[in-house]
Formats: sequence, C-alpha cells, structure tokens
Amino acid sequence: MRTAYCFDLDGTVTTREILPCIASELDIAEEVSTLTQLTMQGLISFEHSLRLRALILGHVPVGRVHEIIDEIGLDPQIVEFVHERSEVCFLITGNLDLWIGPLASRLGCRCISSKANLVNGRIRIDHVLDKGEAVHELRRSGRFERIIAIGDGANDVPMLKVADVSVAFGGIHSPTPPAVLAADYVVHSGGSLCSLLKAL
Amino acid sequence: MQPIEGAVIAAAGLGSRLGLGLPKCLLEIEGRTLLSRLIDLLEPHVQRIHVVVGYREELVIEHCSRHHREVVLVRNADFRTTNTARSMAMGARGFSGKIVFLDGDLLIARPSIESFIARAATTELLVGLTKQKSEDGVCVRVASDAVDESPTILGFARDPAYSLEWANVFSGPAGILDAAQGFVFEELGRRLPLPGQVLDLSEVDTPADLDHARQFGRHLFL
Repeated sequence: MRTAYCFDLDGTVTTREILPCIASELDIAEEVSTLTQLTMQGLISFEHSLRLRALILGHVPVGRVHEIIDEIGLDPQIVEFVHERSEVCFLITGNLDLWIGPLASRLGCRCISSKANLVNGRIRIDHVLDKGEAVHELRRSGRFERIIAIGDGANDVPMLKVADVSVAFGGIHSPTPPAVLAADYVVHSGGSLCSLLKAL
Repeated sequence: MQPIEGAVIAAAGLGSRLGLGLPKCLLEIEGRTLLSRLIDLLEPHVQRIHVVVGYREELVIEHCSRHHREVVLVRNADFRTTNTARSMAMGARGFSGKIVFLDGDLLIARPSIESFIARAATTELLVGLTKQKSEDGVCVRVASDAVDESPTILGFARDPAYSLEWANVFSGPAGILDAAQGFVFEELGRRLPLPGQVLDLSEVDTPADLDHARQFGRHLFL
C-alpha cells in the first residue's frame, strides 16, 4: 500500500517551536511563546495568530531568520525516517515558505506551507495553509492509497481528522488536547513514533 | 519458534465495579502503578508496547508522558460501547508477529510472566490461567485436575466448580481478535483445546480484589 506521511514541522520535526526562537532575536521570546502556546491549544485562530506573529517577527531580517532556524535541533529519528523515504514524506506546516524554505530543502522532502513574500522589506502573507485542505489535495493527486498524519497542535487537527491514520506527537511537550482528541495514537518519542510508522 | 514481538495492554475500561473514578491501571500497589509494573515486566522482552486508552485517557497519557515515553498509546474513543476484545484488536494494529495481550488491571509476579513469555515463543497460542478466584471470573476446564502449571484447556465456563480461572493474559498472532464479536475468552474458545500456563497474579476488579492485590503486592515486593 502506498502511504504518504504528513509531518507537522514546528515542535514535531524540530525540537523547539520555531517562531519563539526567532522572537528571541527581538528579546520577546516569552511573549511570542505565550502566543504560540495559546494558538496551539486552539484559543486563538491560527491565521490571526500567524499574521500577528509574522508582523512582529518581520523585523528580523530573513537571512538572520534562516541562521536561527538552522541552529534549531531536529529529531534525529524523524529526520532519518524522512531521508529514507523522502518521496512519500511531506512537511505540512503553517509556517512561512520564506522562513523555512532552507530547512525544508535540507530535509529533502516536499514542503506544503503558508506562503509569503517580501514587499518593500515587509512580509506579505499571501496564503495561510489549511492543513486539512493540504491532505485533501494529496489524496486528490491519486498517488497514495493511505495518508498518515503526525502533529501536535490545534492547527494540525484538520489534518489529523482527514488522514486515514493520525498520530498526536509529544516529543518536546505533550500534544495539545485538541490534537489528542483527533488522533488514533499518542506517542512521546521520535523512536517509538518511527517504529510505529514503519509497522503500520 | 517465533519470539514475542510486542505487547498490548488494554487499559480503556471503566472499572465500574471498583468505582474509584480512575482507570484501574493507575492504581498504586506498593508505591507504583499497575501499569508501570506491567511495562517494567514487559519492556525487556518486546520491541514495542501499545497501551489502549479510553476512560479518562488523559490521566493514562499524562502518566506515560512522564514515566513511559517509549510506549505507544492507542485511543479507543468508543470504549464505552466496546469491550476488551475490541480494545485489544485495536491495540494490535501495527504488529504483524506474535503478541502478548494483557488486561491493564493485573499485578503479575516477574518469574511467572517470564516463563510465560519464554514458552509463548514456541507456542502458537498460549493462554494465561490463575488460581485466584474472583466473584464473577471465567473458569476453565482442563484436561486433568492434577496440580500442573501448564494444563491443556478444554473449555471456558462461568462455573465455580473448576479450580482455575482465565487470567486475561494470552499470546498469539496479532490479528487474532480482528473479527471478534464477543469476549476474548469466547474467541479463544473457538480454538480449543489450547495450551494453558498458570500465572502468579492478582487481578483488580472489585474492592475485595484490591485488598487481595495489596497483600499480594506486599508479598511480591518485600
């Protein structure tokens, strides 16, 4: 059976949430971290929160953002899993292509993300990703008989719900309650996640 | 010879006869939960442990996120309307070899589960039995009533005349319960006769069982 594996990026593949790391450059990591947590729990709409965070974090030059993201740790077992089957793995992230492009290239799999451009030195968000829609699109491609999704936050819920098998992942922090409620499995380590994914 | 690949622990049930408002696997015996004790016993012998959760799943998930980060939690969202056989079948997905299936409310002596796992490697299907008598346990009819730790099982019956009970532990192929409609022992009953193995364990279904388990625990962990 040809299976697609759809991974959330922030806090699933990366061992830290990316936006608070960028925010530390402006000395507002705590504040952006709070906003990120509220968003993950579904208390604020993802789109509004992303637009707000992008407006704030747009003060950091894009080149510097790439350097910061480059230093963020990745789960070694998930990275190995993706490298071994990059044709069937997908990063499904609400984060901006402008920021996470180089990281996605390093991971070597296709990345479906929110889209933004720099216009007169300011970030303009052109599209905020609906992760459920991303999974629907993959299904419509006809390339896969089964889709497995892995995520941890409220914005992963649409993706977890429409996937054939869904995993709430708590590698660095517990998956949020909405993600757990939408999942078939809950796992807390990259090792057991990849062991399960290989076996399913 | 096929060693045990994984373990499925069914911990989704309501535990209504005990009425503690808590999943039974989280009961503590001598300072450690039943679930932690089961995971400790199984971890050295299997590649992966799946714990099926349902009733108050957040408590079991939290417990595992703190103490057992390598286990896979399998959600049975329909735990109120499905039975243990269903939970175990859900928990076995993702395994293809031989699995040991257990209820999450058991306190088992280490040497006895280790003998069970060793024998399971050379047995297609192996059924755990106990000498403990519970209020509404399922008894087994065995080939000979002589004292024997590995009797052949001829039947299951809710008849207290027999001296051994079904222990809610067995090993077998991962897909064995996929089509099960009734109880686990009923599914096993379609394959009789079956090899049985007596386990030294205590099961917690009622307040009286809990007292018994506490005594058993004191004896085990002294």
